[in-house]
Amino acid sequence: MEDEEIEKMVIAYLKKKGFKQTELALQEEQSKSSFASQTDPDKQILSVTESESGPAQYQDGYSKLRSWTYSSLDLYKHELLRVLYPVFIHCFMDLVAKGHTQEARAFFNSFREDHELMHLRDLQKLEGVLSPSHLEEMEFAHSLRQSKISIKMCQYSYELLVQYLQKSQSITILGIINEHINFEVSPGQPSTISDDADVVTLLGSSQDTSKLINQKEIRWGLLEDSLEERLEKAGALMSDSEKPEGETKEGEVEENKKKSVDGGKQGASVKKLKKDKVVGTTGKSIRSETNIVSMAPRVKPELSLPEIPTEVEHSILEDLRNRVQLGSLALPSVSFYTFINTHNGLNCSSISHDGSLVAGGFSDSSVKVWDMSKIGQQSDTSIMQGENDSASIEHLMGPEDGKRSYTLFQGHAGPVYSVKFSPLGDFILSSSADSTIRLWSTKLNANLVCYKGHNYPVWDVQFSPVGHYFASSSHDRTARIWSMDRIQPLRIMAGHLSDVDCVQWHANCNYIATGSSDKTVRLWDVQSGECVRIFIGHRSMVLSLAMSPDGRYMTSGDEDGMIMMWDLSSGRCVTPLMGHTSCVWTLAFSREGSLLASGSADCTVKLWDVTASTKVARTEENKSGAMNRLRSLKTLPTRSTPVYTLQFSRRNLLFAAGVLSKGV
Amino acid sequence: MSIVPKETIEVIAQSIGINNLSPDVALALAPDVEYRVREIMQEAIKCMRHSKRTTLTADDVDSALSLRNVEPIYGFASGDPLRFKRAVGHKDLFYIDDKDVEFKDVIDAPLPKAPLDTAVVAHWLAIEGVQPAIPENAPVEALVAPSDNKKPEHKEDGLPVDIKLPVKHVLSRELQLYFDKITELTVNKSDSVLFKEALQSLATDSGLHPLVPYFTYFVADEVTRGLNDFSLLFALMRVVRSLLQNPHIHIEPYLHQLMPSVITCLVAKRLGNRFSDNHWELRNFTADLVASICKRFGHVYHNLQPRVTRTLLHAFLDPTKALTQHYGAIQGLAALGPSVVRLLLLPNLEPYLQLLEPEILLEKQKNEMKRHEAWRVYGALQCAAGKCMYDRLKMFPGLLAPPARAVSRTNGRVIMTTPNKRKAGKDDMMQQPPVKKIATDGPMGIVPPISLPANMQGTVDGFPAASGQSNLGPSSSVQVTNDSISGSSGKREDDGRAAKMLTVLSQAWKEDVDAGHLLASLFELFGESMFSFTPRPELSFFL
Repeated sequence: MEDEEIEKMVIAYLKKKGFKQTELALQEEQSKSSFASQTDPDKQILSVTESESGPAQYQDGYSKLRSWTYSSLDLYKHELLRVLYPVFIHCFMDLVAKGHTQEARAFFNSFREDHELMHLRDLQKLEGVLSPSHLEEMEFAHSLRQSKISIKMCQYSYELLVQYLQKSQSITILGIINEHINFEVSPGQPSTISDDADVVTLLGSSQDTSKLINQKEIRWGLLEDSLEERLEKAGALMSDSEKPEGETKEGEVEENKKKSVDGGKQGASVKKLKKDKVVGTTGKSIRSETNIVSMAPRVKPELSLPEIPTEVEHSILEDLRNRVQLGSLALPSVSFYTFINTHNGLNCSSISHDGSLVAGGFSDSSVKVWDMSKIGQQSDTSIMQGENDSASIEHLMGPEDGKRSYTLFQGHAGPVYSVKFSPLGDFILSSSADSTIRLWSTKLNANLVCYKGHNYPVWDVQFSPVGHYFASSSHDRTARIWSMDRIQPLRIMAGHLSDVDCVQWHANCNYIATGSSDKTVRLWDVQSGECVRIFIGHRSMVLSLAMSPDGRYMTSGDEDGMIMMWDLSSGRCVTPLMGHTSCVWTLAFSREGSLLASGSADCTVKLWDVTASTKVARTEENKSGAMNRLRSLKTLPTRSTPVYTLQFSRRNLLFAAGVLSKGV
Repeated sequence: MSIVPKETIEVIAQSIGINNLSPDVALALAPDVEYRVREIMQEAIKCMRHSKRTTLTADDVDSALSLRNVEPIYGFASGDPLRFKRAVGHKDLFYIDDKDVEFKDVIDAPLPKAPLDTAVVAHWLAIEGVQPAIPENAPVEALVAPSDNKKPEHKEDGLPVDIKLPVKHVLSRELQLYFDKITELTVNKSDSVLFKEALQSLATDSGLHPLVPYFTYFVADEVTRGLNDFSLLFALMRVVRSLLQNPHIHIEPYLHQLMPSVITCLVAKRLGNRFSDNHWELRNFTADLVASICKRFGHVYHNLQPRVTRTLLHAFLDPTKALTQHYGAIQGLAALGPSVVRLLLLPNLEPYLQLLEPEILLEKQKNEMKRHEAWRVYGALQCAAGKCMYDRLKMFPGLLAPPARAVSRTNGRVIMTTPNKRKAGKDDMMQQPPVKKIATDGPMGIVPPISLPANMQGTVDGFPAASGQSNLGPSSSVQVTNDSISGSSGKREDDGRAAKMLTVLSQAWKEDVDAGHLLASLFELFGESMFSFTPRPELSFFL
């Protein structure tokens, strides 16, 4: 900086004095020097043509680079190692593209072990590529070849690498590095090894655009006028003046407690409520809420939200009052619903918010709903069902044994991959391999609507936190937003490079998150339909998502048992949660957000302390090292029952569901 | 180049009617086939994940094919994982064993049971973070018993449907057949040659371990139900012995289940319901069995022998118990070894004999059966004491006070042994009157002049054959004792003398008991007298 200023001053001085000759000479000299500084090794490499590139060149060049990297200085080794993988896959693809299939296979097999730990799934995909036409056809390979991979490095490692490449004169490798790797050279010390997790993940766009995307603003705050606020307000009011009312409410509280003990009673009361109508936002007049000081910023809903019926509102408020405060010292009670005799047919399950209803989606296209409050008292069942379902066709009373313990919903024409209860428990959504989504009423026990829009199996469907709207994700690589009253989708979110496997709403209903087989999680703005965040870090297909109740964090679980916690505003991974050994099927935050529960195919439910990590993250935002690993509080093993669904009730009782599998 | 070899392509081509596929085409197709297969598998794995499974099924592949708009492959769908078999001679070649099914068989077969309907059961996985120790939870920390696991209780109803004992699956079809066959033989045909072979097989076969719990249960069950069936009980005990003999069976964990049945066969009041049932023999047999168990597993189960002896001693000391029970107890204790006899039996001998006296005497016990039993018990006691003494003697051979005499007598006895035996055998046939006579006569003559040793001689002489044999060969003693006793009890006229003898006897035993502290010297005498005197009367008699 100083030099430049001096130079400028000199030039200005020369101009002022009119020394034209000297000025020109100076400028010439300057441009020369700047050119010299710009002629990076990069540029030189670019100019090198790929003249002689026989198949042996690749093998030879790569193995030389490999042995050099492994023998390099320990301090810089891990950075240099990162270069190997892109070079490896591009060597392979180049070989295939040039038709040296045999050599390509030999090359692949001789070095694949090095990368299996980190990139096993990609390698499995690439392994099958055996002809140039496959390269064209296979989207993964195609986009790999199109895009550049960026690798962060410290200055010195970079220099080491450049020196080596210049000395070794292996032009093929130089070419590949040039063509496909984008170095982000940072001054100073090499990064710590813990950051090694920088994964080469395939993105449709380049890394830069994803960065740009992640810089968009996200208003992650909760909705204004939420029930929690009203509760606080009500509490304040109660303390002041309305004593008699307060007493009656306390009486109710106790009564409600009793109800909640025998489980599901509540659900029955909820079910009595009418189907909520869709009205604009102006249902409740917005009161001035100055007295409430809350951490999270408040946002206005972008969607028009349905009105909550007053009775429901009361029951929710009751539940909020009676909520158990969970934490590292106060662990939740877990009620486990075990499906038995499913004959390998259960694909998914869902539990209503109060645990009274349990739904299962089966591969024989059926959806079955159990009313858990009735299972305890079998004798009443037939009578109650008789009252309820006289008009229903869907509900079949099993003639052979008098009664069936569940309600059967038939309508789909393919395996049901997802079932979800509406927040109030009066509707069920199911998505199926027949590419449709169906809406069922638990009160009428009938199919209400069939939503057609997706072209391929719909993997997941999810109600918005307030109901009425729902999101779906499909094999057709899109996620869609729907409202219950329209048979066409309202928004189509396209951008994922592979199947969209799971979808989740943000607490304020303005965003949805989608997890995909392309190993990314994306956050979409519901109003605009734009992608606002891309979360990169998973090494395999993302299977489950959960949003923290305060709207600030998101967790995602993948096929390998890794759970990642993301900060929505920064788009960074707060911490990876390691512990599960198999697919994480489900994740759930406790209602006040202090605990995270995860259920996995390894037959365990794990409870994680989320407050610890987030606090650390808040105080030292930038140091996302090994310091703030989330604490695993407790592992609850089940009896050979993979956990399919977890759901916290509004009072923080955790419900879990799974299938008893003898084979495990 | 590709994993799919050229030959595979050619075979597939032929199977769809293309016979003249050129090798070049096959070679070019192979990589593409591999690529397509991989593609389909990738989709299939997605379907598997969305079905929330971790094992790939044929259905997943079918769904993947339909995703690609390909006709699915029919005929492989199945709810269970496929069972692959390894092709012989190939390392990684597997196939599915697809058997031909006859229509006739299918039609004739009874309808299979309808599969159970899906159900949901609820339980507490955790209560405030603590897992209650209930059967639905994984058996880990069974430490904390929760206060409120009532809820899971009442919902258990549906669960047992699915949870079966894992051990049942372990049992192969062959083992089940074997078990059925053995149990049938034991129950119905315990006299047959086949049963002997079965016992032989039980004692030697190496693969029977999975059946041990079943046999244990079987024995226990049959013993409790079949106390009246003598032959069954005997057969069961033989089965137990065979199992114990089998070197490949690890029977320790089941001993606690087995022992009650065995002890029952030893000290039960009635074994068999017929008069002719030789339950004495069964008791003797079982006594040996108990002794062998104690010997073999005593070091593993430290409290095994104490418990057995306690049980037996209780039976022995309880005057209200039947004489048959006493007999069993005495036999059992005797089989456990001389030291047990010395420590437990001998101190109680005097009071017991007093108890026994009225049963033996003709005047007091009119019931022939009872008297017979009493004599049996008497014989058993005799035998036990004799063995005990013999053992002491063997332990302290140097204590024989008059060695010279002993030697000379031993010589004499050795010479006489054979004829003696032969004579004994003859006596048996002749209902043993001569022996009896001597037995009863012997002490009469000797008692007055000689004090202790003479008395002892008398006691021994009471059943000369028995004592003599027991000294010579303990193994055969039981049999002989039985015979002699049966002979004696058969004879009415002996009773009076026998009673007299008894007094002498009891006196002698009393001496023994009193002199317990002077064991060494006393036993020397005692033994000496046994040793030397036993053959003498016979000797004198027969010569």
